[in-house]
Amino acid sequence: MLKLIIEKELREILGSAKFVFTFAVCSVLILLTFYVGAKNYQINKSQYDAAKTENVRSMQDLTDWRMAQVKIFLPPMPLASLVNGVSNDIGRNIDMAGMGELVAKESKYNEDPIYAVFRFLDLDFLFQIILSLFAILFTYNAINGEKEGGTLALSFSNSIPRDKFILGKIIGSFIALATPLIIPLLIGCLLLPVLGVPMAAQDWFKLFFIIILGFLYFSVFLSMSVFMSVIMKQSSSSFLMMLVIWIFSVIVIPRTAVIVAGRAVDVPSVDEVNSQKSKYSMQLSDEFFHKMMQFKPTQEGMDAFKEFQTFTAGLSETRAAQLKSFTDKINQERENKQELQQNFAFGLSRISPSACFSLAATNMACTSLKLIEEFNRQAVNYQGIFKDFQMSKTGATSGGMIMFTTRGDKDKKIDPNELPQFQFIPPSFGSQFGKALIDLAILILYNLIFFIGSFVAFLKYDLR
Amino acid sequence: MFWILVQKELKAILQSPKFAASFLTFSLLILLSFYTGIKEYKDFDKNYTTAKNLVQTTIDQADSWGKIQYQAFREPSPMQIFATGINNDVGRLTAINKYQPVKLEHSVYNDDPIFAVFRYVDFTSIVTIVLSLFAILFSYDAVNGEREIGTLKLVFSNAIPRSRFILAKFTGSWLGLAIPICIPILLGLLLLLLFGIPVTGAIWVKILFLLGISLLYFTFFLALGILVSCLTKYSSTSFLILLVVWISFVFIIPRIGVMVAGQFITVPSTAELESQRTAYRTQTWDNYSQKYLDIWNKMAEGAKGMSEDQRQKYYDDHKDEVRKQQDDLQKEREQAENEFVERLNESARNKRDQLDKLGLILSRFSPTSAYQLTVMNLCGTDIDLRRRYEDALKEFRQKYNDFLDVKMKEDGFGGYSISFSSKGGFTFKDGRGKSVDTRNLPQFTYSKESVAAALVPSIIDMCIIIVLTLAAFAGAYFIFLKYDLR
Repeated sequence: MLKLIIEKELREILGSAKFVFTFAVCSVLILLTFYVGAKNYQINKSQYDAAKTENVRSMQDLTDWRMAQVKIFLPPMPLASLVNGVSNDIGRNIDMAGMGELVAKESKYNEDPIYAVFRFLDLDFLFQIILSLFAILFTYNAINGEKEGGTLALSFSNSIPRDKFILGKIIGSFIALATPLIIPLLIGCLLLPVLGVPMAAQDWFKLFFIIILGFLYFSVFLSMSVFMSVIMKQSSSSFLMMLVIWIFSVIVIPRTAVIVAGRAVDVPSVDEVNSQKSKYSMQLSDEFFHKMMQFKPTQEGMDAFKEFQTFTAGLSETRAAQLKSFTDKINQERENKQELQQNFAFGLSRISPSACFSLAATNMACTSLKLIEEFNRQAVNYQGIFKDFQMSKTGATSGGMIMFTTRGDKDKKIDPNELPQFQFIPPSFGSQFGKALIDLAILILYNLIFFIGSFVAFLKYDLR
Repeated sequence: MFWILVQKELKAILQSPKFAASFLTFSLLILLSFYTGIKEYKDFDKNYTTAKNLVQTTIDQADSWGKIQYQAFREPSPMQIFATGINNDVGRLTAINKYQPVKLEHSVYNDDPIFAVFRYVDFTSIVTIVLSLFAILFSYDAVNGEREIGTLKLVFSNAIPRSRFILAKFTGSWLGLAIPICIPILLGLLLLLLFGIPVTGAIWVKILFLLGISLLYFTFFLALGILVSCLTKYSSTSFLILLVVWISFVFIIPRIGVMVAGQFITVPSTAELESQRTAYRTQTWDNYSQKYLDIWNKMAEGAKGMSEDQRQKYYDDHKDEVRKQQDDLQKEREQAENEFVERLNESARNKRDQLDKLGLILSRFSPTSAYQLTVMNLCGTDIDLRRRYEDALKEFRQKYNDFLDVKMKEDGFGGYSISFSSKGGFTFKDGRGKSVDTRNLPQFTYSKESVAAALVPSIIDMCIIIVLTLAAFAGAYFIFLKYDLR
């Protein structure tokens, strides 16, 4: 019996002109998302390569490694083109120095504001806005529509158990709507290697999981619509209600949650923090110069010069350590507050299934707020390597208060290729999966709640 | 007859539960957008004032000209409450000095990325997404819906001219929806006054234009809904078509337009340009450092064979001349570098212009883009925001640097100086004075855009919306004249 109901539902949906129309639109959008994502990846990659090449070229005529203005770059990631998250909002370049604080600058949207106006087409947007709307469009009248058309009473003139009917309705609708979407999604996935996007095994796993999350989210709206169509008498009312819920889920709740969190947890502004750092830094600079002026050489001639260099390098080290300990402390304080604010905002936003999907998808694609943390962490690790490299080459490092360079032999130019490369390694599938688990669980929970809700409500449904 | 039909339409809309639900939702969203916009503006303003004061404090405490670290900030504008645009994507501040070119950094989203995750709800996004959806929801079955339930035939059993009927439909729907939506908007405007937002006369004029264009945008979707309902037999079909058109206009075309433009025009990144600047500096440094050295060598040459006292006197006599030569060389070097950077920036700017132009042309196939661009222009949060500020900042930088040059000449750089000679060893000099008079230090102020300046770039977009609205309405009108009422 269940099979029969599912088949009826499938036939009804697949045979409708509405399905053909929406399927065509969704397919075009999905393919477009993958195509544009792949093309954007290539553009970002060419910009990244050009920036790296130019940076190496800028070092070619140098004779002292401490004069090199090394930059490290956040490389474009294949999945970031498919689920943008905050990857275009955060700084992508860091000026590297052997000591001192590292700051990521130049976000994509700051550089090319035109992209910020309309933003990009990605899987997050597609599932969150378009596919959820289509899920509503196909199921808002699943039960009350049949009642209005008189087919519900007709169906129950046969001995059909109500539980099987509602189960068949939900399963049938899901299969009929979700399965056809697999085709453009698979073609889209195929486009990635064809268009030269280097997807590692981990990336495929992540993408697969993002699509699973998308379907889970899609099914939340599907089961919610069925639930509404059970509890509301008229299909027009259930449609309107679902539209209002959709607007709240997609637009209102996530944004309001962040605003509420912004009010509840006061995070000191970057300007305030920077001002404190700047004040302390100036104070340390005064101390530095005061101590420097006490310098009395024990040797003569160029040996005295070398002695002075060692002396100031020591002072620089001490100053850098003091400054680091201070900046670490106030950065940590700000980060702790930011984390509190984030936890509060995301916790609140999870009332909306759209926020849950978005958070889980960006976590999987490594384009969530954790990307900033990860980039900074790996940059700090690289700073150590860079410092060691400079020390091994010159006996000193850049980023201190005073730097002596000598006019070296023009023929003894540095070889930029010797510089250790910064390689950003995106977090593994396992660690990202752990972060997305809570949203996955919430999406499953929403599905269960609306499924059970529809099931229970339909058992007492007035068929007349 | 016309007014009877309008009244009928008004009654049908105002008494429907659909109206109550959508009116409530819309009102709630509009008030929320005003409230959050006001709060966001106040935060921006608070941060702006705090940051400016902090910089001013360090300037006041500076004991030498060389110690001043001036920063210029982007000012908040009350118009950002209506359209965030790219306000939070563009940097808020830049360092002003001789050594770094002007570059706006520290965007709100970069500093506080949590706000970038879901972004902000603003008046424009509510009008763009929600109001247009409601316009469709109320007009998709305007004609075919009446045909389906048989009321169309009933109406035309009386001697009603078709032209009057369709006009009344349109007027009734417009009045039934446009007037109620003005209520939360007016309440929102009242919130501006209650929260003490500084709204000047020019801002009120801009707000009036903004509301006018928002109503026009809403009218377009209403007319489009009536047009499609005249073109299709069933209301379910017209709704589906309108939904797809709505998705395309609101979400797809604007994004695709810009992305397609991005495929054709690649703009070099700032990192690439900076590395090119560094490479230029490195390549020319050898040449200049040799020249610096030559100046010293020439002076040392002149003092050759002199006793210690004579040499000291010779150096003192030629000190000013050497300093002048060094200054000239420094200026020559700076000018050459500035010219190089300007050429680089000019070329990048041209490419960016091409990208913007093509992207906007393509995105203007959607009235939503045209509406968004108009509103952003009016609110000053459009794509030229960064350029306008950077141009003003460049001008200011020149003025600021000239001022500091004069002051440093008068009072000295004020830093520490270290000299070393193989015989005399190290000599340190603390050149800092007790204080410097910074009262006349130039301060960056941004002259706000006039209403006319904000309107001129929007003319094309406003025309697009007007033409599309007229076309949709004329289409509905003429199709209905031949409509099969059965």
